[in-house]
Order: sequence, then C-alpha cells, then structure tokens
Amino acid sequence: MPVFKTPFNGYSVRFSPFYENRIAVATAQNFGILGNGRVHVLDLSPTPGAPITELAAFDTADGVYDLAWSESHDSILVAAIGDGSVKLYDLALPPTSNPIRSFHEHTREVHSADYNPVRRDSFLTSSWDDTVKLWTLDRPTSVRTFKEHAYCVYSAAWNPRHSDVFASASGDCTVRIWDVREPGSTMNIPAHEFEILACDWNKYDDCVIATASVDKSINVWDVRSYRVPISVLNGHGYAVKKLRFSPHRQNLMVSCSYDMTVCLWDYMVDDALVSRYDHHTEFAVGVDMSVLVEGLIASTGWDELVYVWQHGTDPSAP
Amino acid sequence: MESKPQPSANSLPPKPWERAGSSSGPAPFKPPSGGSTSDVVEASGTARPGEIVSSSDKNAIVNRNSLGRPVPTRPWEQNYGNSGIGGYGSTMNYNSGYGSGLNGSYGGLGGNYGGLGGNYGGLGGTYGGGTYGGGMYRGGYGGGLYGSSGMYGGGMYNSGFGGPMGGYGMGGPFGSQDPNDPNGAPPSPPGFWISVLRVMQGVVNFFGRISILVDQNTQAFHMFMTALLQLFDRSGVLYGELARFVLRLLGIKTKARKVQHMGPNGFPLPGNSNSHVNQNYIEAPKSAPSGSWDNVWENDTSN
Repeated sequence: MPVFKTPFNGYSVRFSPFYENRIAVATAQNFGILGNGRVHVLDLSPTPGAPITELAAFDTADGVYDLAWSESHDSILVAAIGDGSVKLYDLALPPTSNPIRSFHEHTREVHSADYNPVRRDSFLTSSWDDTVKLWTLDRPTSVRTFKEHAYCVYSAAWNPRHSDVFASASGDCTVRIWDVREPGSTMNIPAHEFEILACDWNKYDDCVIATASVDKSINVWDVRSYRVPISVLNGHGYAVKKLRFSPHRQNLMVSCSYDMTVCLWDYMVDDALVSRYDHHTEFAVGVDMSVLVEGLIASTGWDELVYVWQHGTDPSAP
Repeated sequence: MESKPQPSANSLPPKPWERAGSSSGPAPFKPPSGGSTSDVVEASGTARPGEIVSSSDKNAIVNRNSLGRPVPTRPWEQNYGNSGIGGYGSTMNYNSGYGSGLNGSYGGLGGNYGGLGGNYGGLGGTYGGGTYGGGMYRGGYGGGLYGSSGMYGGGMYNSGFGGPMGGYGMGGPFGSQDPNDPNGAPPSPPGFWISVLRVMQGVVNFFGRISILVDQNTQAFHMFMTALLQLFDRSGVLYGELARFVLRLLGIKTKARKVQHMGPNGFPLPGNSNSHVNQNYIEAPKSAPSGSWDNVWENDTSN
C-alpha cells in the first residue's frame, strides 16, 4: 500500500469525511520540540500501488499537533498549532489566501482539534493551558472555554451521536464529560493512574468511551456506571498516544503508541488484540480509520512516513 | 482501492453509524437542542466569547481538582525568579522518577553536574547531552544561555537542537553592555531585558515540550537510562569515578585526593599511616605486599 514521506515528523493524520481518497497530515519539525510545522493534504491514487500525491501543503511557524476536517465544507481544515494558535485552511483558495482564520486565544500549545460530526458547525480545541475551547465559524472568537482540568488537556472528542456532548482527556488523570449547555462538566471519570493522552467515543453506543494512557493501557468505560472499566486492553509496550473507534464496526478500535506499533482491538472479546502493525520505525503518534472505506487505516509517526493500508494487509508492502 | 463516485462538494455522505440505532439503553445526557451551536450555547447562558484564561484563574482550577492527587508542576510555570541561572538546576525535578538504586545515583550525577552547567556553560555543552536526564535539562540551561551549542547532539532525538539554542546565547546577556563605562551611551532601554526575558521564555518553552514528552513517555525514558547504565557497566566505569572525573574537570576538589593516597588498585602505599582502612577490595594484585593475605579481612596493621 502507498507510503508518503513528509519532510517533518508526523503528528496526526485524518481521513476526509467527504473524499475517500483524501487525507490530511499534521507534521512538526524536530519532533515538535522546536521549529516549524506543515499541514499536508494528500490524495491517494485510486489505482493500487500508485504513489500518494500531494494536493496542497501549508507551512506554519510552529509545529502542527493535530488536524480536523470540517464536516460542513469539504475543503476546510482546522489545524492545532504549537504556538497556541488555531488556524483554518481552505483548500479551494490559493496558498496566499491561507490560512483563512487564525485564532490566538490558547496561551499554550494546542494539542488537539475535533469537528462536531452531528451539528457540523463547530469544533473543539484542547490545549496545554488546561482548557478546551469551543469555536463556531460564525463567530470571530471562541464561544466558550471549558476550564476544569488541572493539567494539560491532550484530547477532546465530540460524541458522534449527540450534538452537545463531548469528552476531554487530560494529564490530570481524568476524563471529563461535558455538555456545552451546562456551566461545568457533567462527569469526572478518574480513568487512569497516569496521564491520559487520548479518548474517543464508540460510534455505535453513545455511552461507551475509550481512554488511552501513559500506563500503556486502554480502558473502555460506560459513562452510566464508570466505577470500573468495562474492558482493559493491555498489549502496548509504552504510552498509548491516540486511539480511534471504527466508524464501521461497533467493537473495533485502532490505537498507536510510543512502542512504535499500531494495534487494532476488539474490546468485546477476551483476546482483544486483533492485529498489531509494526511498520513504523519511530514513535507512532497519529492514526485514523476511514469513514468512507471500511477497514482503511492511516498512520503517521516520527519516522516521517504516512502509511495508508487496508486492515489485514501489510502496510509496508509495495 | 476501489473507486466510488465522489460525493459532490458540500454534501457529506451519511456516517455509517447514523444508519444504525444506538445499541444500549438510555444515555445520561440531556436531549440535544435544535439550532446552531453558538445559539444553543448563548441561550444556555454559558457563553464566554473570546475568554482567555489567566494564570490566576488556573489556581482556582487546581483547587477544583477533585481527585486529591498532586498534579505535577509544569516546567514553564516553575518559579525561577529568586534563583540565578544555576538555580534552574535546583528547581527542575526530572530526576524524581529515578530515585532508587543505580538509576538514582546516576540521575543524581546528572543533576549535580547540570546545576554546575549553569555556571560553566561550555562544559555543560560537552557533557550535557550524554546524561539525557538531569544533565540535559539542567546543563541545558547553562549551555543555551551562554552560547555553547551542540549539547543536544548526544541524546536520542536531539541532533540539531544545539544550534538554535546556542544562537539564543550568542547575544549574550553580558556582551553588548559595559556598566562601568562612564562615557557610555545613556542606559539602553528595557528592550534588552525584555528580549532576555523573551529568550528565557523560549528556553522554558523548549524544555516544557521536552518534559511533556518525557512525561508522556516515561517508559521509553527508563529504557534509555537502563541502556546507558548497561553501557557504562560494560566499559567498567564506576559512577563515582565518573562523578569525580566530571567534578575534577570543573576544578572542584573532591574526595578524589584520598584515592591518591592509595597505591595501585587501592593498596596502601608503604608508610602511609592511614593505609589500614578499607582494604576489602575484591580484586587484589597477585604480587601482593608481604603478608597481605593475612590481613585482607581485618584491620590488622601488624605487618
């Protein structure tokens, strides 16, 4: 399956919700510690084996840590930047007109971005300044700031079945569930003993959420009774950096880790690890599953490579 | 990959899960509201457009941490105000995970040395990279501020960082001004110190990102330290010897002098009155001084 080499270290990859052969990749120079960043928009060739082509690229003054495709406009991308800014890019406009927006409200690095898939008019960003911000395209500033976490918020994810509910995962070892209409968080789940780096909702059960932690495990929770996790997935050798539930199968999720592997899990069965892909030669820090093509997975990592492959095939096979 | 007809622009294909009902019972969420997100939030009275969270707000947030667990201090929020440059070493706490056994002693070495690195930037550059833990953090400040570069070359992922960091130091806090020059120009505007502060901010940012990475990746960090320790074990370098070597390089007199009272392999030099202490060496030379085997295990000075 095709591979794309980025000049900087990969941080995040996302499939377009509009085009089955389009992905966006967030990269940062010098492993995101110091230097510039770049957003790549890539087109996969419909013919197998053909190379990935770059549709557009946007340079930033600091590393890009995450991306989100707009769910309302097929050409708009949200980028979470290390200098605390949130930038919007429109692929339909020439590079000189981009970014079309640049919001400077976060006081520290912005670490994640997620577009509301239900109402499709708003997105969330989470930052190392301990806050999550809610943005809409019809307002010049953020609409709301959610500030209860006591440490960096590494990830915020919309509930895919509820337009007002989202979850945030933080280094303070908690996951909080929020309703944008409520003044405070509606739930506070002490999900791990170590920092939590990512969370995602089950697409088929709006009460199930998974959390990925520095303790190398993934916990799956039912928000109606969150005293104990409904499943604990062990198998990664180091901190789990990101995870994503399958858009097509209720039980499946994919995760990537500092152990340089990408794992596919079925959290409903005892032997939960379905497959392990060790194609990356450095930390695997970005992973996504296509909404439009079942079983299509993309991953990126610090080895500056973007892989796109069908589940069950070898990602590094030519 | 099979080629499907592309959806026309701005018409989002339905999500696969929208075709299926939710499989579990009622959710503990209020039913969704109609209208746009901004309208919904504004109607709920929770909207705070463009709010920027200040650090005083954050203190209140910390108190709201219902877990009762201590939350680590962020590297960029630590109080550097009362300490000199070398003080960076004393306030950083990245050796804490290595408090026991060999790792502890090794981390301690890095810490001590890094602290000195604040004052001796050049040497910090030479040795900071190899220690990776305390050394990199602490020596790093010294190196960066005083213009010594290349200190990050030794680490796992750090090649190339030395350049820009060294670059910060090149301006040099002490380079362009001579406070003792009576005929000099009027005092330079505070822009200089603002630029220094800005540089400091950049430095703190830099280490903030490294430390976040180390935080997220404590396991890999541990593995690196273990590998490093094994390397030292193999080359036969004792940690104490290493520490003494480093301190001697810095011109600090240590107990190393005491070692010089001993002969080769720690055996007493003839006529040394203190020579009876600490003779329990595992390896003794084959051609030992007379009667040595009799008093290896006791402090017998009768020979």
